[in-house]
Amino acid sequence: MAVNTDQQPLVRLRGVCKQFGGVAAVHPLDLTIDHGDFLAILGPSGCGKTTLLNIISGFLFPDAGSIEIDGLDVTRVPPERRATNMVFQSYGLFPHMTVEQNIAYGLRVADAPADECKRRVAEMVALVHLDGLERRNVTGLSGGQQQRVALARALIMRPKVLLLDEPLAALDLQLRKAMQVELRRIHRSIGGTFVFVTHDQGEAMALANRIAVMQGGRIVQQGTPREIYDAPRTRFVSTFIGDANLLRGQAHGGAVTLAAGPVFAQAGADGPVVAVVRPEQVQIGPPDAVAASPDQVLLAGTVQDVVYVGTYVRFQVAVDGSELIVHAGSGRAAPVIEVGAPVAIWWSLSDHLVLPEE
Amino acid sequence: MIAQRGRYALLAPSTGVFLLCFVAPLSYFLLLSFYRIVSYQIDTTITGENYIVVWRDYFRSLSFTFAIALAVALSVTALAFGFAFYVRFKAGRFGILLIFVALITLFGGYLTKIYVWKTILGQTGILNTTLMTLGVIDEPIGLFLYNPFAVIVTLGHYLMPLAVLPIYGSLRNIADTPLRGARDLGASRWRVFFDIILPQCRIGIVFSFALSFLFAAGDYVTPLLVGGPYTSMLGVIIQLQFGMRFNAPLGAAMAFTAIGICILVIGSFDLLLRRLLRVPT
Repeated sequence: MAVNTDQQPLVRLRGVCKQFGGVAAVHPLDLTIDHGDFLAILGPSGCGKTTLLNIISGFLFPDAGSIEIDGLDVTRVPPERRATNMVFQSYGLFPHMTVEQNIAYGLRVADAPADECKRRVAEMVALVHLDGLERRNVTGLSGGQQQRVALARALIMRPKVLLLDEPLAALDLQLRKAMQVELRRIHRSIGGTFVFVTHDQGEAMALANRIAVMQGGRIVQQGTPREIYDAPRTRFVSTFIGDANLLRGQAHGGAVTLAAGPVFAQAGADGPVVAVVRPEQVQIGPPDAVAASPDQVLLAGTVQDVVYVGTYVRFQVAVDGSELIVHAGSGRAAPVIEVGAPVAIWWSLSDHLVLPEE
Repeated sequence: MIAQRGRYALLAPSTGVFLLCFVAPLSYFLLLSFYRIVSYQIDTTITGENYIVVWRDYFRSLSFTFAIALAVALSVTALAFGFAFYVRFKAGRFGILLIFVALITLFGGYLTKIYVWKTILGQTGILNTTLMTLGVIDEPIGLFLYNPFAVIVTLGHYLMPLAVLPIYGSLRNIADTPLRGARDLGASRWRVFFDIILPQCRIGIVFSFALSFLFAAGDYVTPLLVGGPYTSMLGVIIQLQFGMRFNAPLGAAMAFTAIGICILVIGSFDLLLRRLLRVPT
């Protein structure tokens, strides 16, 4: 299989949309996926992410728009003739077949020679660490093992794009962490292109090199995990990816007045805005710790709750009716502040984002 | 250990009934089939003569009976599969309604259905009168009733809803995702049907086949009422041996020959299906 080295993306969606019973599940959207990408389509349930995955796999045809895979238009090509393979959320293994037969099924359908079949099954079994279970019936396997069979069954087809639908949702926390590591290892070792759908932002951050955040049938932001965390483009993205403190305010004539009091200079259109600041960007100290300065936001509040998490201390601070979360210090360096104590909290203007209110 | 003993205790009553009412009489008749009737008395010398008589003198009705039973079982299983498949995969939320309708027809009862077909196929039946009214024929056709065809239709009509249930039950246990999975791996709809759906409902198909085959092979009321003089089904003849002919040993031999053939036919059907679906035996 020749590796495509030119700059053309592997998958290109143009103006793809889908309605169910008059309700738009996916609004017209564009998306490109490059060779070697590990893309997460992230969003809450009902945001259209699974519909989008089904459109890429061919289980659904879009109402309008086109899909290209490796330069070929596959908009109306059914799943059995697409260079994509899917790992289903509920695995969808064939219960009447053994592990080996499950993995070999795609090659058997393609009438691959028996010796090639055998060799590639052995390769896959080794890749996903299923050694010794080849002749077991799949119904007797644990969830994690079934997940591996589903992965091997799809990967043996050497898909141009591997699609995963909430691949780890059915596993318990321990297993989920282990499978995250496994998936990264497998992605690295075969150098393929993976696209997965998830509602779990932690999973998206842990696995993907690129994230597309979906909301209400639209992709609201795409980028590396870092870009999305550091520079969320909307209020929704900022709260969906990681924790965020939101402070309402009004922009007027190049300045923003927060409802909680502080005023600071900020270019942008007039109207209601929201200032977004991550808990770890907020500093906390005694009421007289810092003096007010034009390049930072300073608020006075009362500590409501203190949780010693270990790597940091989580403070819940009441400020003028609303509550802010502050992650401070690490380990033993964490400041010791009691519940009920008056505090000052502050952050530098460069550490928050001002977004228009939605 | 207590749990083990408890389990056997629960089985005891049904095992008792089974031994007393099934195994014991059947063993008696098996023994009887090796005896003879000599001048209206049972002669207890062991002999295989009855079985020779069955194959020699009754071969025609034996083969006729099983040909009819096979025809009934195959057509009923095929029709029931089509119905169950439609209900499971195509009918959507109307599926349950269709199953309910199939079950309701069971209320009709066995004898009722026989008389229904007598009414439809008879000399002055609905079929003849309709054809005459339409001017297709001038006088009633007697060919509809009292022939093997009428037996097959009547038995098939009775067995259909019974045969639907096992197949529908096994089809319902098939999950949707594996079917999508197979298509994703390159299988056409036809291959999905053969590789994924059929192997998973094999047991249901064999069960429906066995049910209809056994019933059709053992039935002696339907052939008497709609079969006419040429349709000498084995059930009718066996009944005669125990009744008017006073030859219970021969009747028993016929019955055991029939049981043997049934086991053989159903076993072969299962084996054939396994071969066809490449299921390891």
